[in-house]
Amino acid sequence: MKISQWFQVVGAATVTVGMAIHAPVALADSDSDLLVVAKAADPQTLDPAQTMDNNDWTVTYPLYQRLVRYDVSEDGKGLTSVVGELASSWTASADGTVWTFDLASGNAFSDGAAVDAAAVEYSFNRLMDLGRGPSEAFPGGMKVEASGEMQVTFTLEQPFAPFLYTLANNGAGIVNPAVEGKGGDHGTEWLSGNSAGSGAYMLTGWERGQSLVLEPNPHYGGAAPSIEKVRVDIIAEAAARRLKLEAGDVHIAESLPVDQLDALDGAAGIEVQNYPSLKVTYLYLNNKIAPLDNVDVRRAISNAVDYQGIIDGILDGNGVQMRGPIPEGMWGQNKAAIQYSYDLDAAKKALSMVGGTSEEITFLYSGRDPLWEPIAIATQAYLSQLGLNVKLEKLANATMRERFDTGEFGIATGNWSPDFADPYMFTNYWFDSKRHGLAGNRSWYTNDKVDGLLQKAVVSSDPAERTALYGELQEIVTDEAAYVYLFQKDYRIAVREDVAGFVFNPMLEDIFNFGSMSLSK
Amino acid sequence: MSDVSVSPNPLKRALGRVNWGYLWYQLKQSPLTLGGGAIVLTVLLLVIFAPVFATHDPNAIDLRARLTAPSLTHFFGTDEVGRDIYSRILYGGRQSVAVGFFVVIVAGLSGTLIGAFAGLIGGRVDTVIMRLMDVVLSVPSLVLIMALAAALGPSLINAAIAIALVRVPVYVRLARGQTLLIREMSFVTAAETFKASRLHILRWHILPNILSPVMVQATLDLGSTILLASALSFIGLGAQQPTAEWGAMVATGRNYILDQWWYSAFPGFAILITATAFNLLGDGIRDILDPKQKAR
Amino acid sequence: MSFLNVIRRRLMFLVLVLFGVTVITFTISNLIPGDPARMIAGDRATPEIVQNIREDLGLDKPLPVQYFRYLEGVVQGDFGTSIRTRRPVLEDLRIFFPATLELALTALLFATALGIPLGVASAVWKDKPVDHLVRVIAVTGISTPAFWLGLLVILLFYGNLGWLPSGGRIDPSLEMPNRVTGFLMFDSLLAGDLAAFGSALKHILLPAFTLGFVHLGVVARQVRAAMLEELQQDYIRTAKANGLSRFKIVFTEALPNAMIPSITVLGLALGDLLYGAVLTETVFAWPGMGAYVVNSIQALDFPAVMGFTVVVSLAYVLINLAVDLIYMAVDPRIREVS
Repeated sequence: MKISQWFQVVGAATVTVGMAIHAPVALADSDSDLLVVAKAADPQTLDPAQTMDNNDWTVTYPLYQRLVRYDVSEDGKGLTSVVGELASSWTASADGTVWTFDLASGNAFSDGAAVDAAAVEYSFNRLMDLGRGPSEAFPGGMKVEASGEMQVTFTLEQPFAPFLYTLANNGAGIVNPAVEGKGGDHGTEWLSGNSAGSGAYMLTGWERGQSLVLEPNPHYGGAAPSIEKVRVDIIAEAAARRLKLEAGDVHIAESLPVDQLDALDGAAGIEVQNYPSLKVTYLYLNNKIAPLDNVDVRRAISNAVDYQGIIDGILDGNGVQMRGPIPEGMWGQNKAAIQYSYDLDAAKKALSMVGGTSEEITFLYSGRDPLWEPIAIATQAYLSQLGLNVKLEKLANATMRERFDTGEFGIATGNWSPDFADPYMFTNYWFDSKRHGLAGNRSWYTNDKVDGLLQKAVVSSDPAERTALYGELQEIVTDEAAYVYLFQKDYRIAVREDVAGFVFNPMLEDIFNFGSMSLSK
Repeated sequence: MSDVSVSPNPLKRALGRVNWGYLWYQLKQSPLTLGGGAIVLTVLLLVIFAPVFATHDPNAIDLRARLTAPSLTHFFGTDEVGRDIYSRILYGGRQSVAVGFFVVIVAGLSGTLIGAFAGLIGGRVDTVIMRLMDVVLSVPSLVLIMALAAALGPSLINAAIAIALVRVPVYVRLARGQTLLIREMSFVTAAETFKASRLHILRWHILPNILSPVMVQATLDLGSTILLASALSFIGLGAQQPTAEWGAMVATGRNYILDQWWYSAFPGFAILITATAFNLLGDGIRDILDPKQKAR
Repeated sequence: MSFLNVIRRRLMFLVLVLFGVTVITFTISNLIPGDPARMIAGDRATPEIVQNIREDLGLDKPLPVQYFRYLEGVVQGDFGTSIRTRRPVLEDLRIFFPATLELALTALLFATALGIPLGVASAVWKDKPVDHLVRVIAVTGISTPAFWLGLLVILLFYGNLGWLPSGGRIDPSLEMPNRVTGFLMFDSLLAGDLAAFGSALKHILLPAFTLGFVHLGVVARQVRAAMLEELQQDYIRTAKANGLSRFKIVFTEALPNAMIPSITVLGLALGDLLYGAVLTETVFAWPGMGAYVVNSIQALDFPAVMGFTVVVSLAYVLINLAVDLIYMAVDPRIREVS
């Protein structure tokens, strides 16, 4: 081909490319009925019986309904008490072992099938049969039976005080029995990437690593949602999520780090919302190995951490120091329990009682929470002031969790948020000697008296009695410094000002009530 | 002065062959190489004498002075827990340079010995060794290194080991190829007729003669090893906190890139300058030592 | 040696390589501390649940048994199920491989489009300022940490100028064009969707530049060396004597001959790019195999890591084979000698 012809081709190509770059971006539909959420990572699985990750729940919670839901107060605040969703009413036997639920009529799955007792029975049997993480919240030996066309009966082996609340969990989502026909293990492979629920929305598209699309369930039993399409965009870079929010390309930007949120505060068209939450960050102290098996060493560590420094420096003041395991806002918190503070003299004194220690303490953390690394670095610096030799190890999340379960670590960072509004969430899991390791008691703490208190509290149905039991427990576990109780941080989310109707519920972090939200014009 | 050419130390003999005066003249001809060498020297100086040049303790935190911009007190600003970035870059340089030399020495030494041995001994052993090296070379090296580093545990020394293991085949191939060439030369065949042992031939005849292409490869490898080590740290498989390391600093700085661009920019720039300097130097040395391969 | 012989020998080698590759990766994957069953089980799983999952995934069998079960599957085209995405690994690779290939090819295009002219200029004006400049660019290219360069271009073109996007393959608000090849730019052109094409192009510019910048230097140096070699040949002197213009000599006589040895380098570059994309994809959130394998290693997803390794090794060996065959086809001298 001659040179001149070649240039002609190149020229034509350049012009086409130039036009294409400046072609107006055709949006799929009109702006006012589309809500876009920017998320940091792709969900792993959308099967309620499989997923244990809040990141997945953002998408799954609106796709399914549960027997009960969390109530909303008059002034639009999420409450921790529950009211019926699929269930219109319920009764419990005197000893709390038999629960009977009457289902409301008019609720239907996305394929039109009605939500009846058979569906509820199927969902729970499927959940327990698959035996994955979500099933663990429910007491073993629980029997579920459709005792009528619209009536379900749950029979527990023992009374379980938080039982009613567990029914609002993501794992208790009612699944369309038709998934059984999707083959495999109760259709779990299919359900991981699709939806089969009766919630206000259904999943209509998922481009892995790019975006998910939710559209209204045509057979939804409640009021039709105002938002006609929800798109969850996966944008890994926090800076990119923030910029898209500022540009108006997304309405809600999740998981923005503290510094980005501060920069957005007061920006035009954007609102940074702050809610006190029940999510806590704490340090596991492996009570099983030296030198942390010594209570004085643990007390010394608890006094060597600059709690306020961490809250001011790393959280920018958006948090409050924990007082014991139960966070503020949850009933049962013992306001008289010990709260350690940054007191280097007391720390050195406690340590001197042991005669000091030269052992190396491994400190594990992962990149799952960006705050963990600064906390780890700071803690190591604080503890070195005591003369303690701390070695930091940043691991993949999976590897770290393995070490929790085998007890091969000294100190580690952890986050915890409740699945239901009961002190059980922060006490049984953390201190019961039957839950050593990954199951919840990651400090490998053992105290028979505490075990006894926990046993009594879980079967009792008297709140006053339980408060007293938990109160005593908190005194013991703070005195023995089983964990380092760091802080409870606010839930902060940056949204555009035209997003209305968002109700934050401390039980449902990272979950948005799309069905009752709207975009003001 | 003793006759270096009969020194039992192969390195000494190889070095003795070099006409240092002419070498210096040639170096002066190439400003790029000189520049590279000068930068390498500066970097090595700064890094070895880091405690002298640093302004702060690289591990001293100050949670209330996080992410401050470059200033007269903190030349390159502070990081997310208030540590001085400039000082951390200086100390971090120690890690990067150490890894570079470690890998090159370990892989270079072992690879050269194995390759020379394989080339000399020939036959089945040679074939097996080479096939093994081919297989290792066919595994996507970055994946292999990542997996190795993850398996050994994330730490800079393990990353260095992983990189070294993966580089060995390169030296084996190089040494073997050169050995095959040298083996045919008359002085080797002469030695063989005198029933010289393999070890003797290896030490006296083969190694000194293959040293120069190996040195060239080694110098070039220094630059790419520094890059690779920092890449591993970037992914999180290399240096662990609180150790300062350039790649790890770029990785952490990534979260703050929009508002605190200096956090990622300066450590990355350090990597760039150091690797470029080693590469320029390596290029220049190759041009001088190995005129056949010269880029002219 | 005939083509067939070469192909036959290489394929045998390929089998050996794949075997070795899987053994090595399998061994290493299982050395990585951590239990994937625990990872799936979730935060509060009891040992029973973890054991359930472990049995489900076949992780409780002894290692050699696991390995042979895996090999069995591979031969039938089943690379196992990814622990992280719960999908067949082959399907994951089918989704993510084209993304990486598209990026690598675009980067290669960029590297050659700029590298060849630079190399030619450097050879023609040897030892002049142009030559030195090109050499500096080349060395800088291979010395630049790709991840750092990526961050800086994002900062400049996205953070400051707002011209180009910071990640992903295409604007999420657009409908993805019908998947024909998996190459977004190609597919959108086929579908006539100019907006999608434009968006895909905008998204690929920065990552391709970053990835290609490194190889720009390599290509330029190679072309320079080859051109210098050619320009010394007799036939060039003849052409000059015959009065051919300098421009014509360089481009129509010397360059084509210089490109022949360069093909090898290009082939190697493609292989490099394929797995070098790992870092670039991480920085640009490009949903390709590089990001996939990094996430998989972190999630202890052995089947995914092995699948990736096998596929990329396969690709690497095949590319080398193709390059050698092309080289043989193009250069009759090689054919004779072989």
